[in-house]
Amino acid sequence: MHEFSLAQNLLGQLLELAAQHQARKIIRVEVQLGESSNIVADSFQFGFDVLSKENEICRSAKLVLQPTAGNDLILAQVEME
Amino acid sequence: MCDSCHCTETTKSDSEKKIIEVHESLFAANNEKALANKKLFAAAGAVVINMISSPGAGKTTLLEQTIDHLAGTLSIGVIEGDIETERDADRIRAKGVPAVQITTGGACHLDAGLIHTGMHKLMAQGNKFDIIFIENVGNLVCPASFYLGEDLRMVLLSVPEGSDKPAKYPGAFKTSDLYAITKTDLLPYFDFSMEEARKEALQLNPELQILELAAPKGTGLSAWIDTLQNLINGKN
Ligand SMILES: Nc1nc2c(ncn2[C@@H]2O[C@H](COP(=O)(O)OP(=O)(O)OP(=O)(O)O)[C@@H](O)[C@H]2O)c(=O)[nH]1
Ligand SMILES: [Mg+2]
Repeated sequence: MHEFSLAQNLLGQLLELAAQHQARKIIRVEVQLGESSNIVADSFQFGFDVLSKENEICRSAKLVLQPTAGNDLILAQVEME
Repeated sequence: MCDSCHCTETTKSDSEKKIIEVHESLFAANNEKALANKKLFAAAGAVVINMISSPGAGKTTLLEQTIDHLAGTLSIGVIEGDIETERDADRIRAKGVPAVQITTGGACHLDAGLIHTGMHKLMAQGNKFDIIFIENVGNLVCPASFYLGEDLRMVLLSVPEGSDKPAKYPGAFKTSDLYAITKTDLLPYFDFSMEEARKEALQLNPELQILELAAPKGTGLSAWIDTLQNLINGKN
């Protein structure tokens, strides 16, 4: 249920990164999703897809979720231009 | 120079694409706030318990009974999390104990930022506490993912919910220190297996301390009060 708020946090962080690196567009975002994180990959992806449409910079960003061990959710890598 | 029409606009080439390695937890912001909360808790001199259960498992009832037992001997504060209403905080205030109500307006869990704000409000009502209880939003799943800075996390499971719940909702059981099986006065009316409820939780988390409670009847309360007292003594 909190997948949406986590997706919201992620987008906030992406906007900060874009500003830091003077990027106009986020292209690809890689996130590692811990298998015991209680986070449902599909709804996190859905939340991201819906919320990313709310601003120009993230509008066409592609979220790639990598399953990993543990219970964390880690922003690994961001591709931007 | 753009090579299709020779205008002065530069085109984006691949070299302007940047790949940034971040490797930061999306819970990092929450965990940082939780560490800030730990400092606030220490400043108040309090041990802090985060109570997690499904709606109605008996969190507020246990708090009311605890207050009745400890009033006068310990100073208690309560932070209540609910989606809507002041009702749980009002139940605590009716016992003469300072309480702050956080309404999440829909969110299914408390996060460290909400507790930080709540804690400042609580400290406006009293600056020293022996113990602070955080009653999380009634939900057996989501609150388990958010560390609030607490010293002890407890999960409550009531008899009517069924003894298969630890295996079905493992998160809260895996991350808790204490597990209270509540409403044991109702055991005669439900097919709840105490053995299953204990065994399957311990399989998930062998360190769990288990209590059996029927708070309104006073059953198991002395073991619970001892646990609280040990926690406070351990901190001092
Ligand atoms: N029989 C019995 N009923 C109980 C016991 N503990 C709580 N109840 C009842 O269970 C209902 C819910 O109790 P609450 O204490 O409000 O539960 P809660 O976990 O605080 O609920 P939320 O804050 O809404 O998640 C109330 O009607 C209580 O009287 C118990 O040990 N035995
Ligand atoms: Mg309650």
